[in-house]
Amino acid sequence: MTLSEIANGKVAPRTGIRLDNISKQYGSNIVIDDVSLHVEPGTVTALIGPSGAGKSTFLRCINLLERPDAGTIQVAGHTIEPGKVINAKDLAALRSTVGMVFQSFNLFPHMSALKNVSFPQQKVLGRSKSEADDRAMQLLERVGLKDKANQHPGRCSGGQQQRIAIARALALDPSIMLFDEPTSALDPEVGLEVLAVMRELADDGMTMIVVTHEMQFARDVSDTLVVMADCKIIEQGDPRAIMSDPQEARTRRFLRAVLER
Amino acid sequence: MDAFSAVLQGLPMTLMLTASAFAIGIVGAVPLAVGLSSSNIVVRLACRLFVDLVRGVPIIVWLFLLKFGIQIGTFKFDPVSAAIVGLGVVSVAYLAEIYRGGLEAVPRGQGEASGALGLSRGTTFLHVMVPQAFRIVSPSIATYLTGLLKDSSIASTIIVAEMVFQSQSFARQHPTMEGILPYVLVGILYIALSLPVAYLSRSLDARMRKAVYV
Repeated sequence: MTLSEIANGKVAPRTGIRLDNISKQYGSNIVIDDVSLHVEPGTVTALIGPSGAGKSTFLRCINLLERPDAGTIQVAGHTIEPGKVINAKDLAALRSTVGMVFQSFNLFPHMSALKNVSFPQQKVLGRSKSEADDRAMQLLERVGLKDKANQHPGRCSGGQQQRIAIARALALDPSIMLFDEPTSALDPEVGLEVLAVMRELADDGMTMIVVTHEMQFARDVSDTLVVMADCKIIEQGDPRAIMSDPQEARTRRFLRAVLER
Repeated sequence: MDAFSAVLQGLPMTLMLTASAFAIGIVGAVPLAVGLSSSNIVVRLACRLFVDLVRGVPIIVWLFLLKFGIQIGTFKFDPVSAAIVGLGVVSVAYLAEIYRGGLEAVPRGQGEASGALGLSRGTTFLHVMVPQAFRIVSPSIATYLTGLLKDSSIASTIIVAEMVFQSQSFARQHPTMEGILPYVLVGILYIALSLPVAYLSRSLDARMRKAVYV
């Protein structure tokens, strides 16, 4: 079985997401300036750009960890306008459709790896403990960490923690996964373990939006490359095309800095 | 009667005062700590005002106010109730501040991950924030408890027959060198009572650290 089949019990429902005219500012400081992004079901979108471009904030707007000031989010038959009152049903639908993986893993340190993956299933989806534990074990095995099931995150390496965090998000049957610089806190070798799991997930047809500095991953795995700078999307399209022949001077400058390092 | 048995006579009252006030504090501080970090500014300010007011006035003043300052109809506090209520309310305020600090010390990412997973606010508080905050604050709570044990001696000023009160009355009856003896003994007793609390807190803390972070 593939990762997302295990996650969903069957073939993953393919869901895309449409974000239109998203804006966000803190006080008078604009961080997202009227950004729109349409993500087709089953595709991988890599979001790159210099620090401070608003990539992470934009990603966090997608599942409303940051509340945009304006714009619309359309996902799984729900239309959410973050500038207005959001009803609890829409928010729950959004959060259950969209899973997220953080740069700093954010595992629950007081729970074993197994409980990290099992506990949210019981609370959010109402699964029984044995059902949730079974699913958690399957997913931990799939990310290669069955033997760590009873360890607390503190006893796991960064790469292992991030793979547990991926399992935790997948256990809730998301149809879209957000990754916020998932390998930035890891040394390059350990990052490869995590990238391998993400590649597999992409191959299974999971819809993914990945904020990353891993250019090779962006080129090889993503279907769409989105370049953000100065709070806006400045260029998007086929990753190879953009990397070999960027249209914008700002993109060129950024790519040169990253690729010629 | 010798000095030691005189002091020991006050021991049950000292333990009872400390335990009652601590119990009131441990439980009562929970809603107050939540109020202190509420996003509702009215609730937050009201809780902050209460905490600062209670902590800003010495315990001895609160005890005098409760014992001698309050009369509602025919109701007046007897010394023991006044001491329990006074020490209890002060504990609520101090422990609420300790809890709040603990909750704020839990990394922000924990709440964000909970939100992203779709956990409710109640579940996040109870199963994610509280267990981690408790580990952070347990040494401070133990420190507070040993402080409270000693502060319970202030109740002697409103005629509660705890250890210091018993020492004083023994001293009054023995205005010789022997009169100093109960104070030495009571000091040793306070130390003896504090040690197990400090020890328990250290081993509890070490055990939780091991479980969580190693």
